[in-house]
Amino acid sequence: MIKFSRYILVATGILVASMVLPSLYWTIFEKVPRSPGVYYSCMNDDFIIVDGGSRLSPDGKAYTSDEYEQLLPLMFFRQLMADGTMPDSIRGVKMETPSISRASSFYRYTPRKLDSPVITLWPMLESESGKVNLAMPDDYFRIEKRMEFIVARTNKINEEKSQLFTEALTAEGFVFPADIIAGLPTTRKSHDEGYFITDSEGTLFHVKMVKGQPYVARIETPEKLDIVYIEAVDLRSREYYCYIVTRDQGIYVLMDEVYDLQRLPIDGFNPSQHSFRLNSDLFNKCITVYGENWYEAIAIDDMYDVVGTHGEKWESLYERSDGKIFASIFPFEIRMRDDNSAFVRFFFKPSPGYRWIIINLIALIVAVVLIMRRGWPLKSNIPDLLITAVTGIYGLVATQFFPNKFSKVKPPSKT
Amino acid sequence: MFKSVIYKEWLKIRLIVLIALGLSLLALINIFLKVRHDILFVDAANYWYSFLFRGRAYFMVLKFLPFVIGLAIAIAQYFPETVNKRIKLTFHLPVSENGVLIRMHAFGALVLVVLLALVLGLFVAGSAIFFPSNIIDASLITMLPWFLGGLATYFLVALVLLEPVWLFRGLYSVIAAGFVTFFFTSASIGAFKPVLLPLALITLLLSCVVLFSGYRFRKGEM
Repeated sequence: MIKFSRYILVATGILVASMVLPSLYWTIFEKVPRSPGVYYSCMNDDFIIVDGGSRLSPDGKAYTSDEYEQLLPLMFFRQLMADGTMPDSIRGVKMETPSISRASSFYRYTPRKLDSPVITLWPMLESESGKVNLAMPDDYFRIEKRMEFIVARTNKINEEKSQLFTEALTAEGFVFPADIIAGLPTTRKSHDEGYFITDSEGTLFHVKMVKGQPYVARIETPEKLDIVYIEAVDLRSREYYCYIVTRDQGIYVLMDEVYDLQRLPIDGFNPSQHSFRLNSDLFNKCITVYGENWYEAIAIDDMYDVVGTHGEKWESLYERSDGKIFASIFPFEIRMRDDNSAFVRFFFKPSPGYRWIIINLIALIVAVVLIMRRGWPLKSNIPDLLITAVTGIYGLVATQFFPNKFSKVKPPSKT
Repeated sequence: MFKSVIYKEWLKIRLIVLIALGLSLLALINIFLKVRHDILFVDAANYWYSFLFRGRAYFMVLKFLPFVIGLAIAIAQYFPETVNKRIKLTFHLPVSENGVLIRMHAFGALVLVVLLALVLGLFVAGSAIFFPSNIIDASLITMLPWFLGGLATYFLVALVLLEPVWLFRGLYSVIAAGFVTFFFTSASIGAFKPVLLPLALITLLLSCVVLFSGYRFRKGEM
């Protein structure tokens, strides 16, 4: 029991050391990773890469600040108008502020959005109140065994409304409970489109409240989609309602009014590892998919046809000097937090390669020397030596912090 | 014999337990008076909104309470034993040395668990007046790491206090501080859900580590 309690302490020590020491290392030595922004110019039909302070063409030509703004007139139209250099028309389209801003939008998806705590209570706004301003309701809904509205002031269920919505959902073939619920629970949007909800079988529904009555639309998909994430957006152009991210079938947008699913032309998108940005303007959408050390940019026109692609790859973390040294010192690290998750977990990250074996061996030798100097038998310390051999510095620290002095019970045989 | 040992432990910690209970009740009363006040002022729907979508938790007062209680009970229970090495008297009783330490420790842990469970229970009861189960569940997931952290603090502080050598007290403290910090990592509401079970298991395992320094104490490690 006492020996067991020591191993628990040693394990705790290894856990703490494998979190604290790497975090200390990264705090001191980590280099800023690249995260370039990519835009598509409607002036020269080419990409512009913004990386740190530099703005480059895909073949490496540097642009000045003025050139950069002139290449992206739809992004910098306010500046260009102030300078008097804004073109009157581009591609035969007259440049007017309202149409430019209506078409502009920006969206970013990160794996963190997928892996975060789920909100289970949502406000159902009135979509067609006839008022100019949207208003927050005084109740919140949840969709478990049925759809329930809970009045905040009384903390009681509004039976009548709950029944009304539950029946409307059931009539459209909704199988309770809901899986994903996505909407914009705010009054700061141009109009309300309610919620996009998948049921327990993964079927997609559009649910909103129109003049106090439920509006439910079952959205048929061309093939069965394994939807993992939905994010509703408030586009002033009202082009589409939301982004739909699937596990391995790519990303879709759900077109406004007609409920057509438009697949974005990107392949191999892994929602739990890759990020995704979409910059939209009057003529094009520039989609950039980011991996850990690469990006793929795709420009599409307003018909979603690809008009250009560009990609780059750079040194990954463990190819850089800071990462290489890390992987030579530490056999692994454990983190409570990860960039790709909003949850707290024990994220176990083994170091690539086997260069850490040298340090592990040194740790092992140090452990042997320490044991021998104290005159303890090596035999009764084999578990400690094994632990040190496998976990390196962490094991050395933990076994020395919680010393193995049980040999005192039976004195060493040589005495 | 064990009855008397338990009674001795209770004498040591009863004042701390009463103070902790009082503080907890004050904290809970404060929380719910404030919730009631804010709901009156900003309307319940807005208050729910700030919890759901802005991540504003109404129970932050409770964050370090379990830590403080765990620390206080451990000190009240084990510090007097280290003064003049009084625990040696206990170890000289005609009962198993480990057995007596396990019982002392189990009693302290039990009192702490009951106290913390009471706080959680009252918290749930109070929350149920104002909030639906969805908000209460998310709150509990957010608070449980703090309560487990309180238990872990108790176990680890006992380990540190019973350790006879000052150097090792320091080393244990380093690990203990590093470990207890995990439980109090700031995170959004509900973010601890995946680690609750692992943290609970580790905390359970830590309940027996006091035996290690107890052993070193008995063997006269210097």
